[in-house]
Amino acid sequence: MALIALGLNMIFGLLHIINMAHGVLYMLGAVVAWYLIDLTGNFWIALILAPMVVGVVGMIMERGLLRSIEDKPITTIICTFGIMLAVQHLVFMTFGGTPRRINVPIEARFQLFDLQYPLMRVVIALISIGVMLGLWFFLNKTKYGLWMRAVVQDREMAIALGIPVNQVYMWTFVLGAALAAFSGVLAAPIVYVDFMMGREILIMAFIIVIVGGMGNLEGSVLAAIIISLIQGVGSIFVPPAIATVFSLAFMIIVLLFRPQGLFGE
Amino acid sequence: MSSPHQKPTGFLIGFSVILVVLVLIPFFVDLFYMTFLTEVLVWVLFAVSFDLIFGYTGLLSFGQALFFGIGAYSMAIPISKLGIGPIPSFFLAILVPMAFAGFVGYFSVRLSGIHFVIITLIFALIGSTLGETWTSLTGGADGLTIPFTPLSVGPLTIDLTNINTNYYLVLIVVTVCYLLLRRLVHSPLGKVFIAIRENEDRARLIGYNVKRYKLLAFVIAGALSGVAGGLYGITLKYASANFLHWGVSGHAVVYTIVGGMGTLLGPVIGTGIIMILEHYLVNFLQGTDLVIGIVLVFMVLVAPKGLVGLLKRNSG
Repeated sequence: MALIALGLNMIFGLLHIINMAHGVLYMLGAVVAWYLIDLTGNFWIALILAPMVVGVVGMIMERGLLRSIEDKPITTIICTFGIMLAVQHLVFMTFGGTPRRINVPIEARFQLFDLQYPLMRVVIALISIGVMLGLWFFLNKTKYGLWMRAVVQDREMAIALGIPVNQVYMWTFVLGAALAAFSGVLAAPIVYVDFMMGREILIMAFIIVIVGGMGNLEGSVLAAIIISLIQGVGSIFVPPAIATVFSLAFMIIVLLFRPQGLFGE
Repeated sequence: MSSPHQKPTGFLIGFSVILVVLVLIPFFVDLFYMTFLTEVLVWVLFAVSFDLIFGYTGLLSFGQALFFGIGAYSMAIPISKLGIGPIPSFFLAILVPMAFAGFVGYFSVRLSGIHFVIITLIFALIGSTLGETWTSLTGGADGLTIPFTPLSVGPLTIDLTNINTNYYLVLIVVTVCYLLLRRLVHSPLGKVFIAIRENEDRARLIGYNVKRYKLLAFVIAGALSGVAGGLYGITLKYASANFLHWGVSGHAVVYTIVGGMGTLLGPVIGTGIIMILEHYLVNFLQGTDLVIGIVLVFMVLVAPKGLVGLLKRNSG
């Protein structure tokens, strides 16, 4: 589960936009997947198609709405908050308020010590790792990835060097949206599909991005692991809600003393 | 953005007219609308308090719900669990949120911009998580009911279960708070807040202790949010952990943006319009978030200074 939550966070920092609607995109991925599975009966088709659909939604968001206010962080927070409210309610109206279930595509279980462990979780984890490696490769080894990192580092300089910054912004956003949706689809068989499912994941995403450092992808990965360890280990000793409080408090400390993130320079 | 040089006579006339109308309304409308109107007034106070921190000082706080909820609980817990009367409880509903705002603010004002937004959001999250978990104290999402018994003050008997009495109490408190805030934002202190919003570094270089002023704005806003929460508790006769949810802060964001940030009139108008809109929409679309969200996005993109900004542009 930890790996999924972080897949969507990676782009968060890159965009330098606090996207309050990110959780909604995650939810949208799961919901679209539910419809696709209903239609085709195949989880894997949904896993490929749903992120594409949501990617288009993200493209519309970025082109249509956020374009003009991207340099004003506070305004984008409010704007994406509005988008979050609207989309969430739209899904509520069409999809309904009751959580629905997506059948686990791989039913098999295997023996881990004396526990029955579902194979699906392992597959999900492997896919997540695969996607992360792919993303890392894309950002570090391809021209477009280089552009993206350049735009994050120094926008003006990037423009001066002839990088199509607007395009890069758009594709970064689309990629972020698609990743959010992808995580949503992956999570769908484990949790229920519900129009509110984006809310909690949004908070997790915030935590991980802040702790890891904005725009620092490797930091996000490490932060996700640390936070889920705190959550997981904490939950053994205290109620889960208190464990959440602990990780939130941890985040405040990070914000105060290392606002650039634990692993920032 | 704001207009500190509004003609005082114009304000006095407008203010008096509105106040007279609000005082007379209970004689003309039925009980249902009185409850609604009382709630609108409470949210007006909440939105105005949010505007002090966001519109004037430039700090987007998603933590106001925390103080709102604490205000409501400062009414609820003393009355229902400790047997303390409503009047001391009311003062608790000012002081306790104020103390919490001091604590949260002490840490938060060290940060600016996006980081400030996030840290207030986290504090609010801690508050609501604790509120939902600690059910023996807060009643969780089901909440605590507040039993009000009629209260005699000298020759007067105040019965808060009577909606008109309730309304007048809220009206008086909100009016007083509004006037205090108006005085505040037009004072030299208010100018410092605006200076911080416009350029924090410059305000610091001129020699202002920016952190201290931000903290001051945060504490005042927190106390007023607490008062709004206390009044909300009085009006609904209960307090629930849902009041602490950061989504509640979202209401204030919407009201303020739609009305016009950085003006005191803006949040008032925004709250009125949005709540009336919600009231009529709620039957059509199984809720209102869709329309509210679209309105919010629209306002941010087309009229970032809100309705008040639009009016000003057209008139001047």
